[in-house]
Amino acid sequence: MRFVLRRLAFFVATLWAAVTLNFLIPRLMPGNAAIAMMSRFKGRLNPQALHALEVAFGVNNHQSLVSAYFTYLGNVFRGHFGTSLTFFPDSVAHQVFQALPWTLGLVGVTTILAFVLGTLIGLAGAWRRGGLLDGLLPPIFVITSAFPYFWLALLAIWLFGIKLGWFPESGGYDTTTTVGWTWTFAVDVVRHSILPAATILVTAIGGWILTMRNNTITVLTEDYVRMARAKGLTPWRIMWTYAGRNAILPNLVGFAMSLGFVVGGAILVEFVFNYPGVGWMFLQSVENQDYALMQGLFLMITLAVLVAILVADVATAILDPRTRERS
Amino acid sequence: MKRVLALLLAVGLTAAACGGHKSGSGGKGNALTISNEQGTTWTCGFNPFNASVNFLSFGTEYEELTYVDGLKSGATTPWLASSYAWGNGNRTLTFTIRPGVKWSDGEPLTAADVVFTFQLLKKYPALDLNANWSVLNNVTQKGDKVVFDFKTAAVPYFYYIADQTPIVAKHVWASIKDPTTYKDTHPIGTGPFKMSSCSPQVIKYTKNSSYWQKGLPKISTVYYPAFTSNDPANQQLASGKAQWGSQFIPNIKAFYLSKSSDNHIWFPPVVNVCIYINQKDPVLSNLAVRKAMAYAIDRKKVASIGEYGYEPASNQTGIVTPTFSSWLDPALATQVNYDPAKAVSILQAAGFKKKGGLFYTPDGKPLSFTMINIGGYSDWVASAQIVAQELKQVGIKITPENLSSQTYDADTYNGKYQLSYDGNQTAGPSPYYELRSLLYSKGSAPIGKSAGEDWERYANPAVDKLIEEYSATTDSAKQHAIVRQLEKAMVDDIPVIPVTEGVDWYQYNTKNLTGWVTQSDPFARPAAYIPPDWGVLLLHLKPKA
Repeated sequence: MRFVLRRLAFFVATLWAAVTLNFLIPRLMPGNAAIAMMSRFKGRLNPQALHALEVAFGVNNHQSLVSAYFTYLGNVFRGHFGTSLTFFPDSVAHQVFQALPWTLGLVGVTTILAFVLGTLIGLAGAWRRGGLLDGLLPPIFVITSAFPYFWLALLAIWLFGIKLGWFPESGGYDTTTTVGWTWTFAVDVVRHSILPAATILVTAIGGWILTMRNNTITVLTEDYVRMARAKGLTPWRIMWTYAGRNAILPNLVGFAMSLGFVVGGAILVEFVFNYPGVGWMFLQSVENQDYALMQGLFLMITLAVLVAILVADVATAILDPRTRERS
Repeated sequence: MKRVLALLLAVGLTAAACGGHKSGSGGKGNALTISNEQGTTWTCGFNPFNASVNFLSFGTEYEELTYVDGLKSGATTPWLASSYAWGNGNRTLTFTIRPGVKWSDGEPLTAADVVFTFQLLKKYPALDLNANWSVLNNVTQKGDKVVFDFKTAAVPYFYYIADQTPIVAKHVWASIKDPTTYKDTHPIGTGPFKMSSCSPQVIKYTKNSSYWQKGLPKISTVYYPAFTSNDPANQQLASGKAQWGSQFIPNIKAFYLSKSSDNHIWFPPVVNVCIYINQKDPVLSNLAVRKAMAYAIDRKKVASIGEYGYEPASNQTGIVTPTFSSWLDPALATQVNYDPAKAVSILQAAGFKKKGGLFYTPDGKPLSFTMINIGGYSDWVASAQIVAQELKQVGIKITPENLSSQTYDADTYNGKYQLSYDGNQTAGPSPYYELRSLLYSKGSAPIGKSAGEDWERYANPAVDKLIEEYSATTDSAKQHAIVRQLEKAMVDDIPVIPVTEGVDWYQYNTKNLTGWVTQSDPFARPAAYIPPDWGVLLLHLKPKA
């Protein structure tokens, strides 16, 4: 109980700090939203439009920083994030919820897949150390995970998208397909997600393989594994319940954190593939000094990461009795 | 384990097999796909007074009173107004509203709609993007006519009122509580197209079959996909999936033109990219320094290396050629040409001394300046570097400073820079618009305050007077004479140094469609993001027989 309470107190303190930083940092940037809009449409907007934009965005409303901070805190707790200036006059919530499913679908699924596959390959590799699987897969994926993501993605687009024409090279769905809950649209979405998903997988999986493999090798030398062997348990059972269960512990927190970061999207992926997700939106909000959108996104990421860590802490406590006893 | 791998392999193979066909759509027959990177997904808002989305509805749904062609020195075509006339010493402008035009919901367009539109801009300054009400007194209806009454003669505002203000329906907009934050997801307009569906990734427009210009438009569907980065957008153009492009494509010959003989480009110059020289800087306020700099820059070299030859070199008059050649004083145009020896002699004659390759003012200050530019615009960064090299050769040191575009713009607007490599001015239907925003000191602001024009803080009462005189005349000969005097001020005072001519990016494919804007028939500015010109271009397109 004390353990959970302590974790909760920590959670609240971190949340407050994050929310406050979230408010302050964007305001340290130079310029204002109206000027940012003028820059975005450089040479296309009559210079006279600056005044109109300042009026529309409430740039010169002279609210003090302190009162703005408390208004902001109040709005955050009521879940009001205001109007996005990048997507003016759309609300932040509407924009984010429009982009979130794409990111969750693409980045979320690939993160889980990378973890599951990486863990399995790492475990199997360590179990048959020096075997065919161990000699082949870990080195390959460690190398691919060292590739710069954008380079690999561009290469994939060039090869599979342009040269071979197997997969569409950009977008979340074909621009001429009607959006809706139809079979054609679903197939189209899946086809569009294959290249980005594959490239994320290939670059993300190596880390999980390597840590899982090394953890397993260490665990395999432990006395309790020798004991299990001496008792004559099946290798299958030793691999899963003795080696696997212990080796996966350090990776759990890492996995939880990466799950939390999923809602932040994958800026590079979304940028290169023109994918309509949250990561790209994040970049836009910063470029356009869109405080409201920035704050909404930051808060969502912070919350997701904090919750994920909390869950990972609890999961570790359940999986590993030692952590419970110590606290 | 093995089973998992086998399954994965199977899934992968099936996917590969399914993905074997290419989806080539959008270009066939009656449809057009635009590929224009806007760096954003669509909000599916179409409010024509919202600066970030107006190019998506103004020209297709919403229309202007009179179309003004920016590539033909402001030649006019009657549009929603069948005619217009100036009166009362150019202080009254009267439009006759065309009969028989219908809104897309079937209601007729009337003069009351036009009056309402302008009253809306008055009531909500946030909508008045061109500051029409800074010169207007009132707007009234007289039968089928609408009369604009100006505070003073304001002839150049014709462009903003007639061409740059979208007319909206009174019966729709009158009941909207706050038009500033109104999204307008289903625009009711008079234009040739209707928005038929929209998602964050693509907008689909279909033909308005009861459009007032009989028999038009000839194409039935327009797709406008959203691109958040350049590469995918360029790829769609190269593969022929999209037929109308409006963006920078590096190495365009190999990447685009060589892909098909139907692919064409034309980049009409419309506005200068200049070096703004801060006139309040103690050293730069010396004319000799500015003159020396203007002579020391090889604009052709900047254009061919920094801008890949896509943007032509400027001349010191600030007149963009060939677009506005008829306004150019040929004698002035060649007065300040590349001549580094002359630059050196100007500085020496003014008493500047050269020490260790660098000039010093008579009181010992080095001619060493920082030049801010936008780090994200790779071509401008390259151009700024070349400018710095050229000036170094005559003994003026320039340190380019690459900034984020916000920091950069904030500094430029507030006058917190020495030199600024920029193209803040917007193109207009005559060179007056650009020259005014470069030179009109009444549009400027003190250092530290945000200026809407004259970012280099140039102040010359004679020039201000010329600019105001231009406002009072509709006589083309008189306008040309005034612009020539403004050119002279540009050459004599060097308030800014025009370096290259910014262009409208334009790529088009003639496989299935004809009627495109060409150099010999520049009936509209051809970039897909220019309202209302893009609507005019769409009206000219027709499927090949």
